[in-house]
Amino acid sequence: MVAAFQRPGWYRAALGAVIAAALGFGLVVVLREISGLSAFQSEQTGYPQVIVPLIMAPFGFLLGIGCFDYWLRWAFGLPTIPEDHSSHGAHSWKDYFKVNTDHKVIGIQYICTTFVFFFIGGLAAMLIRAELAQPGTQIVGAGTFNSLFSVHAALMIFLFVIPVFAGIANYVLPLMIGAPDMAFPRLNALSFWMLPIAGLLFLGSFLAPGGAFDAGWTGYAPLSTGAPLGQSFFNLGVQFAGASSIATALNFLVTIITMRAPGMTFWRMPLLVWANLSTSLLVVAATPFIAGAQFMVFFDRILHTNFFQFGAGGDVISYQHIFWFYSHPAVYIMILPGFGIISEVISTHARKPIFGYRLMALALIGIIVLSYSVWAHHMFVAGMFSWLRVPMMLTTLLIAVPTGIKIFSWLGTLYFGKIHTKSTAMLFALAFIVTFTIGGISGVMLGMVPFDIHVSDTYFIVAHIHFVLFGGSVFTIFAGIYHWFPKMTGRMYDEKLGRVHFWGTLIGTWGTFIPMHWIGMDGMPRRVADYAAQFGNWNLLISCFAFMLGAVQLVFLYNMIVSWRFGPKAEANPWRANSIEWLVSSPPPIYNFDEIPRVVGGPYEFGIPGAQHAIMAGEGAEVPTGEPSVVGT
Amino acid sequence: MESASVPLPHGAGGHAADSHHHGPPEANQSSRIDRQTLGILLFIVSEVMLFGAFFASYFFLRVVVNPTAWPPKPFELPVGVAGMNTAILVSSSFTIHYALEAIRKGNKQGMKLGLVLTWLLGLTFLFVQINEYVHIGFSARLDSFGSIFYSLTGLHGAHVFAGLMLLTFATIRAFRGHFDKDAEKHLGVEVPGIYWHFVDIMWIIVFATVYIL
Repeated sequence: MVAAFQRPGWYRAALGAVIAAALGFGLVVVLREISGLSAFQSEQTGYPQVIVPLIMAPFGFLLGIGCFDYWLRWAFGLPTIPEDHSSHGAHSWKDYFKVNTDHKVIGIQYICTTFVFFFIGGLAAMLIRAELAQPGTQIVGAGTFNSLFSVHAALMIFLFVIPVFAGIANYVLPLMIGAPDMAFPRLNALSFWMLPIAGLLFLGSFLAPGGAFDAGWTGYAPLSTGAPLGQSFFNLGVQFAGASSIATALNFLVTIITMRAPGMTFWRMPLLVWANLSTSLLVVAATPFIAGAQFMVFFDRILHTNFFQFGAGGDVISYQHIFWFYSHPAVYIMILPGFGIISEVISTHARKPIFGYRLMALALIGIIVLSYSVWAHHMFVAGMFSWLRVPMMLTTLLIAVPTGIKIFSWLGTLYFGKIHTKSTAMLFALAFIVTFTIGGISGVMLGMVPFDIHVSDTYFIVAHIHFVLFGGSVFTIFAGIYHWFPKMTGRMYDEKLGRVHFWGTLIGTWGTFIPMHWIGMDGMPRRVADYAAQFGNWNLLISCFAFMLGAVQLVFLYNMIVSWRFGPKAEANPWRANSIEWLVSSPPPIYNFDEIPRVVGGPYEFGIPGAQHAIMAGEGAEVPTGEPSVVGT
Repeated sequence: MESASVPLPHGAGGHAADSHHHGPPEANQSSRIDRQTLGILLFIVSEVMLFGAFFASYFFLRVVVNPTAWPPKPFELPVGVAGMNTAILVSSSFTIHYALEAIRKGNKQGMKLGLVLTWLLGLTFLFVQINEYVHIGFSARLDSFGSIFYSLTGLHGAHVFAGLMLLTFATIRAFRGHFDKDAEKHLGVEVPGIYWHFVDIMWIIVFATVYIL
């Protein structure tokens, strides 16, 4: 039994968390006793006896589960053990519940964890829609409603969309560039294990006195600085989710820059790799701003500093500036990896090279540069400097240009392609183009100051965000999951159920979010549990579509679980794609390759006789060197 | 910081625990920069942006809110003490550079001397900083000035502490004889050194903004 607590694993993790929490608790009690304060303090924004253990327990957990074992050996000068790869690869399902350094295992850990939070967040959305089906309050009170939409958004953004892309890329990106693993496999494992901590903090806030955080996912000060204890859970959860995504982004950047296979020049990288390169640049440089913003709120709450306290020289608007300086780039963090997935899927299933490959890559760079210059378009009605409005409007409209380039390039790829929709992934990709374009256009509308003032804080905003984030990002996630499911699991999913899921999702999305534009223009305010009776019929209809949308996700869940276990075996390359991950077996071998492949051409040269992207070990020993590749160079 | 201490994952051609495979193939090195150095540089970018958030707040509180007195009367910042502290930290940049140059030439004693000196200078800086906090006479609750003063200097202090931890690890390993002349054998000195230079430069900016400007 003692041995079980010495090995890295769940026993030691539980022990570590308990010890760390107890230490934190003891520290607070002792220090407060010494200072002559009462040991337990239960002011709204205080609770040091809860906060300090809450900060320390995650570190005890991470230490216990084994994230730091190797580094600590290193730090204390013990001889570095020769790499034994004992924590690499999964041999049974149990290995998915351990600290693992294999990017493929970590990818699946990411995807499964994030989908758990997707369903929890979805459940919150269902409760929100149930409450809104009728005017008046029926299911939940106004306070709980505020908590529900805040937790829904926080989970979907920080625990689903951002990390699920990291998960998909974790799995396929090293394979795509011909790398045996990520650059820092242990950092990769640590990034993953910080994620459930953030999720548990968000969900744990429901247990806090005063209920879960209810200031929205934006947590505007001073609403958040005076909110009950749950808000502190949010502040801390964001730190863990943020640290996780910074570490992953750093890992992706180093992997892409230093570990590409021979011949894989930047202009031969698949667009998914380009997309993750640009996303990671955004994450590394922007995420610290939300960390900063949440630290300041946290200090205002816990230490009673005056960052946002008007009477003491604080500045309320500065919160919004600092917050949106991250959170606007964050919307591109939530869509650019999806752009990459769509490029892969569309090119493969239209059997055509990507139209304007280089421009597609440059458009990504254009978006990340511009995305730093548009943050204040979220603040047109906040009372910020009025001179900032028009410049922000112009940059916002400008950012539609690189996005438009991408849309038209996908259309150009489809044009005269041999489009087939035998895969649900392609259906989602095609639907994404339409849905995302609608969401993009409503975004341009919102960029215009006068219109934005008219619809600020109405359901038009809710419609826009869900069209780009659900009809955009989540559609690309589904496309990606269906596309790489055979590769990840070695099994085929059920195409019929996939179709049911697709059509249900498409109709559900449109039925739910299109009418929200209309009631928003008519002035129905968002983030309120009750509304005027005149919106009753529309809301009932929206709720019905929303329930259908929720129910059809269960089909997806069933399809994935059952197909993973019982589906027919998948070939190595069921979609006849070109990129390297399809040239290895399904699922790939434990170390990806016997020998690093050599890249000899662009990734999308469909329909070009004799064109090849990469040569695996043991085949095609004689390669004409310096062969110009036809497309994508 | 973690990235600093990750050794090459596929070094040493270790034996696979897996019986049916021989271990991963060596990754192709597609860039001249090594992983650890690039990793720490990107991490520093991210750190700079974290400071950026607090600097943004600083200028909002000082310029946009435009209080009548900054710092509020009757308090004054001990510029002299902080200036001396700046000199201490800047000189530690030279000692860490000396340590790195020494090991590049294979001079292990010089490296140890440089590391220990750097470590002591860093510790002195932290000690002086804490002493300054004790005697400064106002708390983080003194208007927005106190909040941002303690946040910026405290955030920097936390980075000095993190840098000191990295230096501690490097020093322990140096005394245990882990570092050598070859470039890949003294990454454990070079990478913390890069981080330490960042901590120094960041202090010069914090000092210039908070104490002098």
